Amino acid sequence: MSTAALESRLNSLWETPKTTRGWFATVDHKELGIRYLVTAFIFLIVGGLEAILMRIQLSRSEMSILSPEAYNQVFTMHGATMIFWYASPILSGFSVYLVPLMIGARDMAFPRLNAFTYWTYLFSGIFLYIAPALGQAPHAGWFAYVPYTLTLYSPGLGMDIYALALIFLTISTTGGAINFIVTILRLRAPGMAISRMPLFLYSTLTVSVVILFALPALTAACIFLELDRRWGTHFFSIAHGGETFLWQQLFWFFGHPWVYVIFLPATGMISLIVPVFSRRPIVGYPFVAISTVLTGVVGFGVWLHHMFTIGMSDMAMSFFSAGSMTIALFTTVQVFAWVSTVWNGHPVATASMYYALGSIALLVIGGLSGVFTGIIPVDWQAHNTYYVVAHIHYVLIGSNMFPVFAAFYYWLPKMTGRMLDERLGKWSFWVMFIGFNVGFFPMHILGLLGMPRRIYTYEPGLGFDGLNMTVTIGAFILGLGILLSIINFFNSLRWGKVAGCNPWNSDGLEWETNSPPESYAVAHIPVVVTRNPLWDDFAEEDDPENERVLDSGRLTPTTTWLDAEPVGIATIPDDSLAPLILAIVMFVFFLTLTFQMVWSALTALVIIFLTGCYWMWPHASKEIS
Amino acid sequence: MSTMEQISSRPPSRYALNHLPIDQHRGSNAMWCVIATEAMLFVCMFGAYYYLGTNKDRWGIEEPPSLEYPLILLVILVASSVVLEWGKKQASRRNYSSGRLALWVTVSLGIVFMVLQTFEYISHWKTLAPYSDSYGSIFYAITTLHALHVVAGLLLLGYVGILPQIGDSARTPHRAYETVTLYWHFVDVVWVWIVLLLYVIPHFQGHAYVR
Repeated sequence: MSTAALESRLNSLWETPKTTRGWFATVDHKELGIRYLVTAFIFLIVGGLEAILMRIQLSRSEMSILSPEAYNQVFTMHGATMIFWYASPILSGFSVYLVPLMIGARDMAFPRLNAFTYWTYLFSGIFLYIAPALGQAPHAGWFAYVPYTLTLYSPGLGMDIYALALIFLTISTTGGAINFIVTILRLRAPGMAISRMPLFLYSTLTVSVVILFALPALTAACIFLELDRRWGTHFFSIAHGGETFLWQQLFWFFGHPWVYVIFLPATGMISLIVPVFSRRPIVGYPFVAISTVLTGVVGFGVWLHHMFTIGMSDMAMSFFSAGSMTIALFTTVQVFAWVSTVWNGHPVATASMYYALGSIALLVIGGLSGVFTGIIPVDWQAHNTYYVVAHIHYVLIGSNMFPVFAAFYYWLPKMTGRMLDERLGKWSFWVMFIGFNVGFFPMHILGLLGMPRRIYTYEPGLGFDGLNMTVTIGAFILGLGILLSIINFFNSLRWGKVAGCNPWNSDGLEWETNSPPESYAVAHIPVVVTRNPLWDDFAEEDDPENERVLDSGRLTPTTTWLDAEPVGIATIPDDSLAPLILAIVMFVFFLTLTFQMVWSALTALVIIFLTGCYWMWPHASKEIS
Repeated sequence: MSTMEQISSRPPSRYALNHLPIDQHRGSNAMWCVIATEAMLFVCMFGAYYYLGTNKDRWGIEEPPSLEYPLILLVILVASSVVLEWGKKQASRRNYSSGRLALWVTVSLGIVFMVLQTFEYISHWKTLAPYSDSYGSIFYAITTLHALHVVAGLLLLGYVGILPQIGDSARTPHRAYETVTLYWHFVDVVWVWIVLLLYVIPHFQGHAYVR
């Protein structure tokens, strides 16, 4: 069979028709990955605008742009949006798009689940934003401590929507994690043994496992909160034998591993980008891989450091303080690996590399302030001040947003087929980098001066005014820098240079596909023999006998999880509207729960079950004989 | 660069993929992940149970819950697991009719479980309700969460029961029977833990306290 005939045959099997139904029914991971990225980026902009609102309010003493209640709602929405609906989903977006390409598979292990997790993510975000639309946004911070969140102090629907939206989102996130685990462990290209996996897959795999074990604590906490608020139970009310700290224990048992969920995939991206632009393989691959996994494991043993001020035994505090500082070791291993890679390589100054190196610098600052706050007496001093705000933003922006921008400059040419402008990209980087440091570094000082977090204003003459104005100016500069990159993106779509398969001369399998990739990704399933497949002299797709085309249906090989020896052929289901319908019915289900409409909720559950049956029912799959 | 040269000097492997068997394992792979996360949900609930009990001088032991119902329920659930496991073996040996029979027997046992648990709730409710105190809240939260898992299991079993094919299949879902069996065993194991932690241990716990 000629190559052209093979390609058109594969395309007819894998392509989603460009119709309205096709748009809603697609299970193509490339399409869904881009949707994840776009949706998460919109949440970034929304959360960013909320931050700007807060900064205007705080720019001078005794401003009254926002009322105290409005300020509380804005910072809660800002935190919840950024941490739950931006930081993790944007990384999922990259993973959904890139993981199958990186492992030489033609799609995820469960493509319909993939579509379902996207739709539930989108709808849970919409569900959350019903609250501000009703004028009853949650107002207790993203961590929603009881008893403030019980009905006595938080009447209205805000906290109910917060709790139910999070349960809704955990369904999406857990589904996504299961999909990544099975995809990475079962669908890797023949020969891509676990010792040859790109490091990004180590981080995606680690956080997926972390999600499985950490998210149930959030689900349990939110169930308890909702039961206490609307169904008369007593989990948190002291008067009836409840415990207010139960919320904090459960929330932070989830909350701290979650920090690594939004941190590790970003370090995985840096571990791919830095070597490419240093023109050499990464230094200490096994150490980076092991420290990635250990970060995930030890991340479960540090949660009490969010609660050092609640009063507990010295033993418990010492243990968790030590655990918190141990984590820094693993991050340090990664940082040294990146620095040595640059040091021993021949660095190329691209916009993507700027962002990656900038992120390392910010991560070191944020990491060090984290070590300080891990020390108990320092924590007592800094607790609930702007010092902590500075710390989390250095860590989260430094090790999530900057790597995400590095990844955008690196992988967008693959997704759109067009190069972004390097000059504008570097401008954008410097504006963002300066804006970020002007905006957040003074917060360290503000915190040490004693400015508490979550206050809507402050009195003049406390020495806060000048620094707060600086912070606000920094926030605007940071926003401007992001805007430059957005402009750059839209310009590139029209005027960008055509990217070609491998514009950066990178090593990963994803660069062997066209830009943007074909619907079937690769005509011949690649075979991998080294860690840097495109840099070795082995031709991954060389298959003169057509032994690895799998063109008799929507098929991709499955392999053993350690050595990636091929053992079977996975059948990949085709497009379906069921995931979208299921997500819509779930949205209705959570809406009815918000208003305690029991019978409607039960009806919704029945429809959920029937939709699930329709989804799973064995239909004749798309086959060409 | 040394590692790279080492590895690429090895002769590259060649693989022919076209004649490999259809993969039948992704469903149970995913089910293990579901079980991991659901088990963790119960661990969190049990954690909450003990956390709520830490500061009390006694914890639900004024009158420990009666053992009658939970032990009968345990026997029923374990029996259903054994039957289902046998059915799975039959299905994998292509004895589809015995497989289906075992599956529907399991469903019936599951329904008996639900009915008996309703009776348990009715008798328990006279002395304890979810809104009596924190003990009632967590007790009913855990047992109801488990009951919801039983209902979900029954729905899944019912779905597999009406599937046109319950053995190996070239079309998704592959081996749905095996996958659902895993889930049902999990629900069973959770009940063992509930009986142990919520029902049995409180009977002995009382002796550990100095009154």
